[in-house]
Amino acid sequence: MGVLTRAVRNISRRKTRALLVVVALGFSMAIMVSIPAGVTANQLSTQSLTSNLSGLITQTETSLNQTLTEVDCSLSLRFQGFGFSGGQFSAGGFAGGSQAGGFMPPSEFGGGPFGGGGEAAMNASLYTDVNASLPDVAAVVPVLQVSIGHNVTIERFGRNFTRVVADYVIEGVPLVSPLVDDYPILPVNITAGRNLQAGDSGVVLLSENNTGYFGVGVGDNVTILGQTFTVVGVHGASGVSDRLTLYMNLSDAQALTNNTGQITLLKVFADNSADVSSVANEISALHPELTVVTNQQRLSQLQAMQASYGSALQNAESTVSQMQATATQEIVVAVAATSLIIFFLMLYTVRERTREIGTLKAIGFSGWNIMSQFMLEGVLLSLLGGVVGIIIGYATAPMLASLLLPHVNPFNSAAGFRNAAASSLSIQVLVTPTLVLAALAAAAALGALGTLYPAWRASRTRPAEAMRYE
Amino acid sequence: MSDVVLDVEHLSKTYELGKRHVQALSDVNLQVKRGEFVSVMGPSGSGKTTLLNVLGCLDTPTSGRVLLDDVDVTKMSEKELYRIRRSKVGFVFQTFNLLPYLNARENVELPMECVGKPAAERRRRALELLAKVGLAERAEHRPQRLSAGEQQRVAIARALANEPAIILADEPTGNLDAKSKHEIIKLLADLNLKQGTTIVMVTHDQQIASYTERMVYLNSGRITREKQGTLAGRKKHACPYCGGKIEPGDETCGTCGKPLMPTEEA
Repeated sequence: MGVLTRAVRNISRRKTRALLVVVALGFSMAIMVSIPAGVTANQLSTQSLTSNLSGLITQTETSLNQTLTEVDCSLSLRFQGFGFSGGQFSAGGFAGGSQAGGFMPPSEFGGGPFGGGGEAAMNASLYTDVNASLPDVAAVVPVLQVSIGHNVTIERFGRNFTRVVADYVIEGVPLVSPLVDDYPILPVNITAGRNLQAGDSGVVLLSENNTGYFGVGVGDNVTILGQTFTVVGVHGASGVSDRLTLYMNLSDAQALTNNTGQITLLKVFADNSADVSSVANEISALHPELTVVTNQQRLSQLQAMQASYGSALQNAESTVSQMQATATQEIVVAVAATSLIIFFLMLYTVRERTREIGTLKAIGFSGWNIMSQFMLEGVLLSLLGGVVGIIIGYATAPMLASLLLPHVNPFNSAAGFRNAAASSLSIQVLVTPTLVLAALAAAAALGALGTLYPAWRASRTRPAEAMRYE
Repeated sequence: MSDVVLDVEHLSKTYELGKRHVQALSDVNLQVKRGEFVSVMGPSGSGKTTLLNVLGCLDTPTSGRVLLDDVDVTKMSEKELYRIRRSKVGFVFQTFNLLPYLNARENVELPMECVGKPAAERRRRALELLAKVGLAERAEHRPQRLSAGEQQRVAIARALANEPAIILADEPTGNLDAKSKHEIIKLLADLNLKQGTTIVMVTHDQQIASYTERMVYLNSGRITREKQGTLAGRKKHACPYCGGKIEPGDETCGTCGKPLMPTEEA
C-alpha cells in the first residue's frame, strides 16, 4: 500500500466531487484537443481549395490561349458563356475537406463549360449561312455534345435535390481535312494510341477518365449506348472541360444519339485573333438567338475571376490566421481553466485534510512525502480529466470547433445550400497515439502545475498547528 | 544508552496571540526514565498538550532544552525533526487520527513506510501489533467500522510500529466511554509493565492517571507536584494504599481490597 494507492483511495473517497472535477477538466482538455484539429481542418481545406483553384485556372488559361481565335455559337440557355458563374462556384470543396479535391467536377457545368454548348440541340441546316465565306472567318466546325449521366438525389436540410451527374460526354466533331489538321478541335495531349484523324469512323478517342469508366484500353471495343466502337487512343485532359469527354466522328455521334442533322455548337475560327470580336458581332447580327462567346472574352473573364479569387483566398488566409490567434487564446484559456480547477480543488483538499497532514507529520512523514502525496493526487485527477477530454473531444470536436472558431468561407457571397453546407466544417479529432500521449502529458503537466502550490503548502504545514485545526 | 529517555530542562514556551503573550510553559523540568509510565495531569489550559507537542518534536520551545535519548531536539531543523519523530516517538491522539481511507493494518503500516521497511515486513509487523492490542480479527476493517475503543487500539499499535523510545499519548481516553477508557489504560499499563514501553500520557482524568506509575501535576505551565500511581506499587510488589504485598498482575490489593488496575466498575 504505497503513495499511489493512497492517492487513488483519496480520489475515490469523494466520488461526486472527483466526477465533477474530472468532467470539468475533460471539457477544458476537449477544447485543447479539438481546437487544433479545427484549425488544421480549416487550413487543409483552404490549402486544397487554393491548389485546386490555381490548378484549374492554369489549365483553363492554357487551353484558352491555344484557341484565342475561337468563337463559340450555341443555343445555350444554361449559362452565359462562362462556366464559373454565380452559385456554380460556391465550391462544395470548402465544406471542410470532405469534398475538397472533388472541387467542381465538369459535370456541374452541364456538359463542359468551354464547349459553351449546354446541350440545346440546333438544327445544323438552319445555320449554313455561318460558314467560311463570312468575312474574316477561317473555318466553321459544327460540334455535337451530348452528356450522358444519371440522376443523383441528395438530401440537405430536409429537402431533396436532384441533379444529373455526368458519366461521360460524347463530342462529335467532323473528321474531315483540313479541319482536323488545322484547327484545335481535338485534344492535343494523347497519352496512348493515336488521335482521331480525317476519315475515321466507328472509332473513339477516350479520356483517361473514360477508360476507367468503361474499363477498356486502346485497341479494345467499347459499347456506347448500345453501339460498338473501337478505341484508337486516349487523351489526357487538357483542362477540366474535357475530363469526361470522348471524341468521335460527328456523323457517328449524331446517329448514336438520335441527333441526325443536329448539333449543339458551332465553333467558328477567325482568321486571326484581332478579328475575333468583329466575327462575333457578325454572327450575332445574323442569328440573334445564338449565344456567341469568344475565347478572348472567356480569358478576360477568367483573369478577372482569378483576381477576385485571389483576394477571396487572401481573405480566407487572413481568416485562418485570425482563427489561429483565436485558437491560441482559447487554448490559453483552457490551459488556465484546467490549472485553476486543479489548483482550487487541491487547495480546498489540503485545507480539508489539514488534520490528516498533521497526523502524517506527527507519525514521521516528511514534507516531501506529503508534497508528493498531494502532487500525485492532482496529477492523477488531471490524467483522468485528460482521458475524459479525449473522449469528449473525439465526440464533439466539430461542434466545439465550430462554436469556438470563426468560420472560414472565402466565397460566402455565393448563395445556395452548398454554401450553407460549407459552414458545417467536417472537423474530426483523430485519436492517434501521439494525440493521446500529448493530451495526457499536457494533463499531467497542468495537474502538476495546479497542484504545486497547494501541495507545497501542505508540506509546510506545522504539525502542532495542523493538529489543532478543526 | 542512558537510563533517562527524556530529559527536560528549564523548558518554556510562549505563544503570541496577537499582541498578547501567553506563557504556556514556564521552567518545566522533567525526567522520564526508560520503562516509566508518567501521566501529566492538569486542568484545561495548563499547558499539557503544549508540553507533549514539544516533547514529541511537533513544536519548538521558546527556551530550555529537551533531550530525547540523549539527543537535544530543541535545536534541530524541521528536516531532522521528522526523522526523530518517525524513529523515536510514537503518538497517540485523543481523536485517534486514523486515516479513514485505510484499514486498520494499513494505518499501522504507515509509520513503517516512512522508514522504508519492505512491504512484506510491514504487513507482518502490523498484524503482529494488531494481535498485541487484541485486534487480530479486525485488521482489514476501516476505522468507521471499528468502535472508538478499537480505533484507539489501532492508534496505539500504529504508535508502536517503529519501536519508538517513547510513546506520547495526548488524552488517549478523552473520547472514550467508561469501558473503553479502562481497556485502553489497561492496555497501556500492560505494554509498560510487560514490554517496558516508556509512556508519557497527558490526561485531566484523575482516576485514569492514578493507574500510571507517576503523576505530574501541571498548573499554569509549571509542574506543581508529583505523586506515585498504583503502577509504581505494582512494580515494587507493595500496595500503594496500605503497603501490603501484591503481585504485578493483581487487580486489587489482597490486604486493603483497593483496585490496583482499572476495572469496568471503577
